[in-house]
Amino acid sequence: MTPEFVHSAKSDIGLKRAQNEDRFCADPDLKLFMVCDGMGGGKAGEVASTLAVHTIHRYLAETDSFNNAHDEPHDPSYSEATNRLAAAIRHANRVIHRESWTRADYAGMGTTVVAARLQDQIVSVAHVGDSRLYVIRGDTIRAVTQDHSWVAEQVLEGLLTEEEAKRSPHRHVVTRALGVQGTVEVDLDEVPLLAGDALLLCTDGLTRRVSPEDIVRTWRAASSVEDMSRRLIALANQAGGEDNTTVIVVACGQAVEVGRWERWRSRITGSRH
Amino acid sequence: MPDVASTHARLLVNLHERGSQEIDLTHDRFTIGRKPDNDLVIDDPAVSGHHARLLKIQSVYFVEDANSTNGTAVNGTRVERHQLRDADVVTIGLHRLIFRDGGAAAPLVPTEPAASADETMVLTAAVGRRSAPAAPVGRIVVVQGKTDRRDYHLTKHINVIGSQADAAVRLTGWFAPKNVAMIARRGSGYSVNTTRTAKTLLVNGTEVKGQQDLQHGDLIEVARIKMYFYLNNGR
Repeated sequence: MTPEFVHSAKSDIGLKRAQNEDRFCADPDLKLFMVCDGMGGGKAGEVASTLAVHTIHRYLAETDSFNNAHDEPHDPSYSEATNRLAAAIRHANRVIHRESWTRADYAGMGTTVVAARLQDQIVSVAHVGDSRLYVIRGDTIRAVTQDHSWVAEQVLEGLLTEEEAKRSPHRHVVTRALGVQGTVEVDLDEVPLLAGDALLLCTDGLTRRVSPEDIVRTWRAASSVEDMSRRLIALANQAGGEDNTTVIVVACGQAVEVGRWERWRSRITGSRH
Repeated sequence: MPDVASTHARLLVNLHERGSQEIDLTHDRFTIGRKPDNDLVIDDPAVSGHHARLLKIQSVYFVEDANSTNGTAVNGTRVERHQLRDADVVTIGLHRLIFRDGGAAAPLVPTEPAASADETMVLTAAVGRRSAPAAPVGRIVVVQGKTDRRDYHLTKHINVIGSQADAAVRLTGWFAPKNVAMIARRGSGYSVNTTRTAKTLLVNGTEVKGQQDLQHGDLIEVARIKMYFYLNNGR
């Protein structure tokens, strides 16, 4: 049997910035992948994104064995795993927010987050801000997340076109971020996974410059997840490298072959496949 | 701060089977109930005589339940008293009232971003709170095979068909696979998805490879279970 999934994560400072405020976490044991894009003056952006990554990871590592550790709200339309991911992110929001009051230069710091946790054949997705998760299936690509950005909301309301949004001077304005306020609304989703699907988590350093079509084309040309993440970083830098770019590529395993036992049993019991 | 021309908050009223109307909230107090002395009269036995009221306190609106029998909800959560934000949905029985804040409804232009235009910044206004309209809920009716019920409402985002404990459609037959197919909700529609089990999944007699969108009345067959999918608008 092939492994369930393989992944590759890369983060790059880009060509114009003095520091990388992106952070990521890829933990195949917890089946947890996330990227964060910090914001704030001086070191504050890095502090916020680092805190987010560590806090969320630790929360999930520690609470996996018992349910609803922090008496968090629970949405019954989502699985336990998805609710726990949301709880971890809300917890990180409180931690960052508290930290932002401890030093004057941390005031108002925040970070985006997009996190994916693989369950058996479902991926739980949670996000705040304008970092994205895409699902690539064959020749199609779909953004599972909807940016919490001023321009994305204007496009939704029909007040801006996609093209105007790309050129808008307000394209960097996010309308939700972790740590900026005492509470945060986390967007959730769940997607059934098929063998051969690929997930891409990325910060806006990639998505501002590289189109979804280019991402699919790159995936088709890539020889491995390693090669894919390397090519995506190169594309972002080739297009200007204005911002930090972070990508995580996760490829889900090929179909498990129907074993001899399964074929034999189905012949006896008469079920089809 | 530039002065914003003050526009009234509005209430988009969507009464069940009685059509819609738009009301300007011009006063600081707006009452809702079955009795004729209310500002908004809803002639429905499920609505209390004096059911709920909207109160404006300084520039902020609140909805307050007036000890009604069947309660008042905001964005799906039952409330006693709740501060209203733009696009909040107040539900009274089957009737929906959507609150639009006059100020927020006008295009909101953030101040120019700081020195570097490529620096990400946060706008902490209460925009972006858009409650999804209630989409119709799909139903599965099992006509053949061993399941713990005949009739299921697909209220989850991913509804597993199988024998596992949290399956939405629970298979009870011997050797029933844990997860034989998944019905995923996306927006107002549903799709059915194959899983790793080697069971054939048929929709209207045709084999599904991967994923297929479901239509009202589709026949789904998998692991010797036959079931119909229904998606009714309304109830």
